[in-house]
Amino acid sequence: MKTTKAGNREQGTANNAAQVVTTIAPVGALEKQQQIPYGNDKQNGGNSGAKLTLAEVRAKLSPQRAELAGGPKLEGQSGKRFWKDLDELAETPGFHEMLGREFPRQASEWVDAVSRRGFLKVMGASLALAGLAGCTKQPDEPIFPYVKAPEDLILGKPMYFASAFPFPTGAIPVLVKSDAFRPIKVDGNPDHPMAKGKSDAMTQATLLDLYDPDRSKEVLYRGQRGEFADFQEAFTKAVKASKDGTGVYFLSETITSPTLAAQWKQVQTKFPQAKLVQWDPVNRDAAMAASKAAFGSYMDAQYKLENADVILSLDADFLGGIAQPGFLPLAAAYAERHRYYANDPSKTMNRMYVVETMPTVTGFKAEHRLAVKPSELQSVASLIADHIAKGARRPDAITGDNSPDSPFRFATEVAIDLQNAKGRVVVIPGEQTSPAVHAAAYAINAAIGAVGKTVIYTETVNPLPSEQVADLKALVADMNAGKVEWLVMLGANPMYAAPVDLEFAAAFEKVANTVHLGSHVDETGAVSVWHINKAHYLESWSDARAYDGTISIIQPMIAPMYGGHSAHEVLQSLLDAPQASAYDAVQANAKTYLKGDFATAWRKALHDGWVEGTAFTAKAGGAAAAPKPATAVLDDRQPVPGGVEVRFLPDPSLYDGRYANVGWLQELPKQVTNLSWDNAALMSFGTMDSMQLAQNDAVEITVNGRKVIAGALMVPGHADGAVTLHLGFGRRAEAGRVGAGVGFNAYLLRTSDAPYITAGTMTRTGDIYDLCVTKVNFTEHRGAFAQQDLNKKEYDTDGLYSLPGHEAMERGIIRYATLDEVKANPNFAHEGGPGALVNKVGYGPEGEAPGHGESFFPDAWRYDHEDVSSSTPQKPVLQNKWGMAIDLNSCIGCNACIVSCYAENNIPVVGREQVKIGRNMQWIRIDTYFEGDLHAPRAHFQPMACQHCENAGCEQVCPVGATVHTPEGLNTMVYNRCVGTRYCSNNCVYKVRKFNFLLYSDFDTESLKFMRNPDVTVRSRGVMEKCSYCVQRIEAAKIEADKENRAVRDGEIVTACQQACPASAITFGNLNDPNSAVSKHKATERDYQALADLNYRPRTSYTAGVINPNPELA
Amino acid sequence: MATKSPLLDPKGVPVVDPMIDPRTGEYAVIAPGHNFKSVTQKIAGIVLTSNTPWGWFGGLAVAGGVATFLIIALTWLFLKGVGIWGVTIPGAWGFAIINFVWWIGIGHAGTLISAILLLFKQTWRNSINRFAEAMTIFAVCCAGLFPLIHVGRPWVSYWLFPYPNTMNVWPQFRSPLAWDVFAVSTYATISVVFWYVGMVPDFGTLRDRATMPLAKYFYGMLSMGWRGSTRHWMRYETASLLLAGISTPLVLSVHTVISFDFAVAAMAGWHTTIFPPYFVAGAIYSGFAMVITLAVPIRKFYHLEDLVTLRHLDNMAKVMLGTGLIVGYGYGMEVFMSWYAASHWEFFMMWNRMFGPMGWAYWLLILTNLAIPLTTLWSRKLRVNALFLFLLSFVINTGMWFERFVIVVTSLYRDYLPSSWGTYRATKWDYMTFVGTWGLFTFLFLLFVRFLPMIPISEIRGMLPQSKIRKGGADAETVVEETL
Repeated sequence: MKTTKAGNREQGTANNAAQVVTTIAPVGALEKQQQIPYGNDKQNGGNSGAKLTLAEVRAKLSPQRAELAGGPKLEGQSGKRFWKDLDELAETPGFHEMLGREFPRQASEWVDAVSRRGFLKVMGASLALAGLAGCTKQPDEPIFPYVKAPEDLILGKPMYFASAFPFPTGAIPVLVKSDAFRPIKVDGNPDHPMAKGKSDAMTQATLLDLYDPDRSKEVLYRGQRGEFADFQEAFTKAVKASKDGTGVYFLSETITSPTLAAQWKQVQTKFPQAKLVQWDPVNRDAAMAASKAAFGSYMDAQYKLENADVILSLDADFLGGIAQPGFLPLAAAYAERHRYYANDPSKTMNRMYVVETMPTVTGFKAEHRLAVKPSELQSVASLIADHIAKGARRPDAITGDNSPDSPFRFATEVAIDLQNAKGRVVVIPGEQTSPAVHAAAYAINAAIGAVGKTVIYTETVNPLPSEQVADLKALVADMNAGKVEWLVMLGANPMYAAPVDLEFAAAFEKVANTVHLGSHVDETGAVSVWHINKAHYLESWSDARAYDGTISIIQPMIAPMYGGHSAHEVLQSLLDAPQASAYDAVQANAKTYLKGDFATAWRKALHDGWVEGTAFTAKAGGAAAAPKPATAVLDDRQPVPGGVEVRFLPDPSLYDGRYANVGWLQELPKQVTNLSWDNAALMSFGTMDSMQLAQNDAVEITVNGRKVIAGALMVPGHADGAVTLHLGFGRRAEAGRVGAGVGFNAYLLRTSDAPYITAGTMTRTGDIYDLCVTKVNFTEHRGAFAQQDLNKKEYDTDGLYSLPGHEAMERGIIRYATLDEVKANPNFAHEGGPGALVNKVGYGPEGEAPGHGESFFPDAWRYDHEDVSSSTPQKPVLQNKWGMAIDLNSCIGCNACIVSCYAENNIPVVGREQVKIGRNMQWIRIDTYFEGDLHAPRAHFQPMACQHCENAGCEQVCPVGATVHTPEGLNTMVYNRCVGTRYCSNNCVYKVRKFNFLLYSDFDTESLKFMRNPDVTVRSRGVMEKCSYCVQRIEAAKIEADKENRAVRDGEIVTACQQACPASAITFGNLNDPNSAVSKHKATERDYQALADLNYRPRTSYTAGVINPNPELA
Repeated sequence: MATKSPLLDPKGVPVVDPMIDPRTGEYAVIAPGHNFKSVTQKIAGIVLTSNTPWGWFGGLAVAGGVATFLIIALTWLFLKGVGIWGVTIPGAWGFAIINFVWWIGIGHAGTLISAILLLFKQTWRNSINRFAEAMTIFAVCCAGLFPLIHVGRPWVSYWLFPYPNTMNVWPQFRSPLAWDVFAVSTYATISVVFWYVGMVPDFGTLRDRATMPLAKYFYGMLSMGWRGSTRHWMRYETASLLLAGISTPLVLSVHTVISFDFAVAAMAGWHTTIFPPYFVAGAIYSGFAMVITLAVPIRKFYHLEDLVTLRHLDNMAKVMLGTGLIVGYGYGMEVFMSWYAASHWEFFMMWNRMFGPMGWAYWLLILTNLAIPLTTLWSRKLRVNALFLFLLSFVINTGMWFERFVIVVTSLYRDYLPSSWGTYRATKWDYMTFVGTWGLFTFLFLLFVRFLPMIPISEIRGMLPQSKIRKGGADAETVVEETL
């Protein structure tokens, strides 16, 4: 597969932009045809003379549209008529002029006969399709396939292009799978030194963002259809009139593009009074402010977890997703160092401490986690810094409370541990903390010798770093003062997300000319004078820096489906060559960083997806002043009735709300809470108890007189006396059909001076808000009757613990041990002894699968049978025996696999009400179990998809044989044979089968059709579906292998979940090959099967976890 | 029949009751005073009357109205899919399967009465067997509906049948659902044939007594040329015995096969060998309860107390007591085995069934299926109290419905992987479908009582003392009065 991929990419690069653009035009044109309201263009309405707009051209070409709009019905006119019209029209001078304005590039080629024909072909095809909208029969006229296919297109064979997904915390380098020039899958770029082919949930979901049917499809001027050229004209004229750019303000989302920064610098040179404010509701102000204070200039910290034995995270959720800069390399390095190599003593396991308020996957992966109120974080950080500064030593070190769960003790032990591992330690501060926490982290990292080894300080990924909220404040002040003539908003959505105390909406009223460049006509776009539809990153040229500083060139995969524009074009309007495209701008700027022959280097950069030698190098950092310890706050650990600290965090799925209309992310069960389609007031059981709240009670949270109403959800391990609110929900109708009205808008409480932590009150409203949680985490007690097990006292009803989590341990579904225990008993996952939960309880669980021959049932699928038909018996008969191993030590619960599976397997989104009753369709899920006391639990993540059992219960009970076994051991679903008895699901002990209870797949929305993976069926109503081990990928690899007359190589088949997993927790391959990675995983002693005693013989097995706790804190 | 000493009341005075046969001391199967003519007139009169009671029309209208719920619910179901119901993952089976098992179970009493009691020469069955069989058929109609509509793609549910097709695709015979297809279709076929064959002599009677041409034609067609000749009677008796022989194993096999739907699966709470006998006993238990539910109002409405006597009610109550005890034993064994098996899965399942979030269903089941019936049915007084039995029959059928609810739902909603635990909540469409089948059942039954002889005329006549040949010649009471 790899060679093919590379080959395609070579070709793809050779024919980059122009090829893609021309071939894909029908897609965009078709979409436009369906969405644009015709005949209401006020500016040029009815003027058929010299000037034509695109809309009028379309209206002329589309009698059916006119008919729909209420015009006279045209009898007997079909596709032929369009062609005739088009030819006639093409000769009019007005059309030429319109074309010149609309498509400056094509216009120059118009004189060329071949291009003209190509254009007509494209237009004709789109018209033919437009005439057919809503019916599925073929046109009456003969239609023709490609007579001469585009040079690099082999239908049915995907191509791969490198690009990058720009994100405020740094770009994610991606490799985009493109089928017939439609991007159908976004994955990490395997060649990139940072991404290494890994990705995350949001990056995966940008694909659906591209095909979002609610994307803005046109330029709007005062709510009516407008032209980008008209905007350019008006804007340029106004700016030029101001001479020096006075009154021109840009409000941009965080810039990671060097080209955009360069363009801005040119604008500034030309118009020195023009101002640029960068602002994102979730920003890096704390880090920026702290670095400025510590180093004198804005700096980024880059962490090297591969060198860290001990990690302290101060509320940094670096395993949760790309909201924390450097997620991909950090997660990969953490996971690698968290693996346990029984046979390689040189590889030691790392240990992690986390101090946080809201439990995150990072917190639950940590060996030791301290839950503190948001206000206490700084104190704990200072305490640790203070201890280290003094040279903490036991036993005199512990000041204050010495009880096992005391923060004083935690801080001391962490300080001692950090000190002992000198140099091989790192402290990571979270982005949503205060500058003081960052300062404490700088101090500790400096004191323990981490700088230069596990952390380096570099220039910022953002080429124009700033403190965003302060800038926004200044902007609003200028707006109120009437200084702002033009406010050009590049991607930002302040009407929704601006700090509420700034009263942005009121200030907005005072600006005469507001321009909004956005992918949706969102809250801001709807009220702006101009709205310009923004091209998606998969549709436009740009560049961006990743976490490590490497520059990637963003190349479009498809022509803008709705003719969108980019920030580059907006800024370019003010420069000397206003018609230069983003492509020109990027190329011009690339000359500053591409070395050697430009054409070669450019091609190489596009092909590789990154530019060599652009990574940041460490800057010599100034010494940071150690902050003063503030212990006073720590003493007050009792929750005040009614009063709570409020913590704002970006949503783990939707970030700041920009992905609210992406169904995959809305439906994704959030990390830790498994909350889907909602945000909630997240709090601890202690808080709930003290406020007499029950789960799903609606609570009113008041901060400075501002109120929101939210559903209360208990999160095991949350700090008492605090409530966490995720941002990004409560979008208004403008957000689109998916995102509108989901959850509540936490921005309504958020002020500019308290962006992440504030104090408020919480009261119960008396109403119920029925939250949508995908997995049970009931807190109910088990009756005394069943309590005589594990380490619980008999008749203990005081302990508060999760019944599912408790059962998961007891049933041996989750198995783990500490480092000491695994050394004492390496086989702890299978037999009793230290660390073993298996067989610990009197009556179960049974633990192991019966051996071959011991089972009552014959082994139907023994792949080690000798081939008796051959004269020289050889075993095994079959070449391939597919299997999967999942390392629970590595799984960080980040959800990337789920979204990857969505994209690969055409999984439908079912909506909130369906998810709430348990009908979500995700083929893979992350089971989260809470072990122990719910005040301070330990959590375990277990990815669960079809286990491809050899004795599969589902197969035996299907009355029509719709689920059957392949000789290679896949448990396959035959969708078109399935009648939908659902018996298979009942008899599936892993409950991984998903049923199309209703018609979940969207067969109507045009844009979604382009997104689908053509190798996977789109399932209709009434059939069962489930993980197939990505059978389409297996078959593709087998076909390649067959063509080359060889066996499938290990690692040649990568399942979608495996491909996305940033922690490389998933291994897939051939179990008949003893040297395959998966065979080696399965050969380890820690490998176990979930529910093995049921004799289903699952092909997926799990590697039991090993943790490395600090004995002093145990 | 052996002569018994007369029944005495507590004071030692012989009880004088016209319903007690003075010769045997037993409750009479049919009240005294009937002769061939009166029996024939009584039963045939209901069918051939030109004055259909208004109550019948009222009942038909109500039942038909309720049955339209079913039509509405099914229409919506076919338009939207099974997602309109409360089924989900993990509870992928819900009301449809519960109702299927419940209705099939109800049918069992009819077959037991018509087949097993015939073979055992329990002549008292003759008064009730016809409408019990009708009940079986209508219950199977309702039951048979559910497997067809509960599948995700009902338009291809014929794929469950082994029919020759060009793709050579057959059902998967290891699946209990495939066995169900055979069990239920065989059962329905045999039941209909047995029912029809049993009615042939009565159709002859009706044909001969009918005055309306249409009725003559209708019953004439159905009677298949029945002339009542000895040859006919001989063949009729043989056919009845043969069909009874075929039906008898079906009484045991159908619910056994249906219990395999559960027993074959690996779910704790389903995977148990006690299911077949316990399902069959439960089926008969609920079936007799349904016969009582039907018999009590019918005998009252059509004044059939002479033909369906307290003796019948008493006997049926005794059968219920017996089968109820077997069911109780089954419940006890389930609990015992969940402890004795030393399996965590079994133990947790039973704990969850009793004390989990749906524990109420289990205790309701114990109350209605065991606690109430098995304490009261020992009393002869209550056994011959028609009103009490009528009410009790509802209690038992509620209990039997909850038994299936407990088995289907509480075994599924908290199974092996705790992450997948969920719950089950039926929707209004579930309820409409279920209630609609009651309407359908009642509707069909009302049509039956109006247009078909609901009590076998010929067999009742055969039970009259007049037809008995006794030692010492004809009895003084015998009235030789030929009635056709």
